[in-house]
Amino acid sequence: MLPNLKVENLSCVRSEKAIFKNLNFEVLPGQNIEIIGSNGSGKTTLLRTLLGLINKEEGIINWLDEDNNFNEYRTFDCFYQGHQMGIKNMLTVFENLKLTHNAKGMNEEDINKCLERVGLYKINEMASDLSVGQKKRISIARWLLKDFKIYFIDEPFSALDDPASDLIKEIINELNLKGSSFVITGHRSSNINATLIEI
Amino acid sequence: MGSPPLFYRWSSKIIPWLGILAIIFLTLGLFWGLLIAPTDYKQGDVYRILYVHVPSAILGQSIFMFMAACGLINVVWRAKISGMMLKSAAPIGMSFTLIALVTGSVWGKPTWGTWWVWDARLTSTLILLFIYAALIGLYSSIDDKTKADRAVSILSIVGLAIIPVIKKSVDWWQTLHQPSTFTLTSSPSMSPEMYQPLLLCVIGFYLIFAFTLTLNLRNEVIDRERSKNWVKQIFVN
Amino acid sequence: MLLQGTDLQILTQPLLRFDMRSSVLDWLGIILKRDLIIAFRRSSTYITPLVFFLIVITFFPLALGPQESLLSSLAPGVIWIAALLASLLAVESIFSEDFRDGSLDDFFVSLEPSFILVFAKVMVHWLITGLPILIASSLAAIILYLPLESFVPMILSLLLGTSFMSLLGALGAALSLGKSAILSAIIVLPFSIPTLLMGTSVVTFSLNNQDYSGFLMMMGAMLAIGIPMLCLLTVEALLLNYD
Repeated sequence: MLPNLKVENLSCVRSEKAIFKNLNFEVLPGQNIEIIGSNGSGKTTLLRTLLGLINKEEGIINWLDEDNNFNEYRTFDCFYQGHQMGIKNMLTVFENLKLTHNAKGMNEEDINKCLERVGLYKINEMASDLSVGQKKRISIARWLLKDFKIYFIDEPFSALDDPASDLIKEIINELNLKGSSFVITGHRSSNINATLIEI
Repeated sequence: MGSPPLFYRWSSKIIPWLGILAIIFLTLGLFWGLLIAPTDYKQGDVYRILYVHVPSAILGQSIFMFMAACGLINVVWRAKISGMMLKSAAPIGMSFTLIALVTGSVWGKPTWGTWWVWDARLTSTLILLFIYAALIGLYSSIDDKTKADRAVSILSIVGLAIIPVIKKSVDWWQTLHQPSTFTLTSSPSMSPEMYQPLLLCVIGFYLIFAFTLTLNLRNEVIDRERSKNWVKQIFVN
Repeated sequence: MLLQGTDLQILTQPLLRFDMRSSVLDWLGIILKRDLIIAFRRSSTYITPLVFFLIVITFFPLALGPQESLLSSLAPGVIWIAALLASLLAVESIFSEDFRDGSLDDFFVSLEPSFILVFAKVMVHWLITGLPILIASSLAAIILYLPLESFVPMILSLLLGTSFMSLLGALGAALSLGKSAILSAIIVLPFSIPTLLMGTSVVTFSLNNQDYSGFLMMMGAMLAIGIPMLCLLTVEALLLNYD
């Protein structure tokens, strides 16, 4: 099986000091990568570099395309979630899902199913009335909008109670079975089935 | 020349020559212009401020063009040295523009009778000064230097596109509000005895620009590469 | 060929990412709808520039005196300066909220063209500041005794001028993202001078019964060149904030 993403010798230098050096890994369908490091070790920088938000300094980032060739350019949709979750306070729970490009062409029922899966039933409530945990659930519901090949999630387990982390783990398992992979970051291992990379 | 150590070594050789040439051209030009050139039959000796005013006005504009070219190179090819050039040239260009404005206003007092006239040239020079100020202000607001270089490069490209429009629209505006203003600095009306020293002065001012730009750029290179080995070697020995 | 060795993000990313599976209009529509809903739920976004515009207009008769002849001759300049300042008032908010809450990351990671994203953002900004100002300008023209014949040229010049200001403002906002709001205004103001000169000329010419169409064409030309050029440069400027 070919990996969806192949990273070779990736390095990043910020203000004269190396943040990470010579990273090598492959993201195979259905398998996860967990990037472990302390604050300031460049986890966010790594994710942003992979996705092309930051120009890479050295190394190769290769994406698989439909014809099983590796390219420098990505041709499939990925899901990225940074520290901020992109939840708009002035939109309702439903609109926070509906008015994203990932929900293009989806009907109301499909979106409601995503929200029910993460335990959100009051879909017409304004997001500003929700707690942080519930907002986090909205962001998890967004993972379910489409079958993305790779999910890049920055610290999904930080500041979560147990039911919520269990929910995330369940959903990661489900999506893994569909062939999706997760690249997640964290301070320590989160006990999901993943290859650990320490930076 | 693209690599910083190479530039540093190359510039140490060229700096004295630029300095000497600038001094020669400026002494010749200013001596000729201020003392030998004939007195203007209309304005008397006052016109001689032109030997400072015109070169600095020309420099103020051409340095902006230079900066925009650097900006374009920096945005498209990400050549670091072009970003540093842009940064080093900005204060020089702004100073020349300021000198042009001040000398223009000093010249205006005896000839026009006021310190300031909303003449098309003066107005567009003033706007150019504001654009320089915007570029330098933007530069100083961003801490990361490479990032600041690129931000200023983007803005200077907009400046390059909009400066002809500014000149044109100021011209229209001026003809709309003040139908007749005489121009002082049009070259055809000048006699060759007045024109030749001016040419020397313009070349001298360009040399001064090249001289100060190289000095500024050396400082910039050293400052940004201070943790590199080649810089340490130069300053330890 | 010349561009092959380049690192220009606008060339390598959004254009090559351009994906025919989804139509550009859908993408434009989603951002427009999302941002307009948010703007209407938070009424200060479109009321503040409008009120600012009218207050500045009111200040001129108060400061200069209520003589009809004086005010009507100053009206073109007064309306234009007030419109320019009011449209720059909310410029900082074009990208700042999306940048802070991470939606902007999401937009750039998607395979949708980011040029369209910036264009949609500019459109939203114009709809919530430029359009209200355009409507209020007729009111301003009445209280400044601008003759009725000059209304149409004033509206036309403001239509073109405020759109250009929104474009310029977006670039200023992208360059000064996360910095003070006044910085983006200072960056943008010197570049807005041609718009001011031509806009006021249109109205002044119409006051003197002269042909003003040349200025309008020039403003239209600036807008036509500005949309592709400024949107692309804004994409570049936005990506700078991730480095």
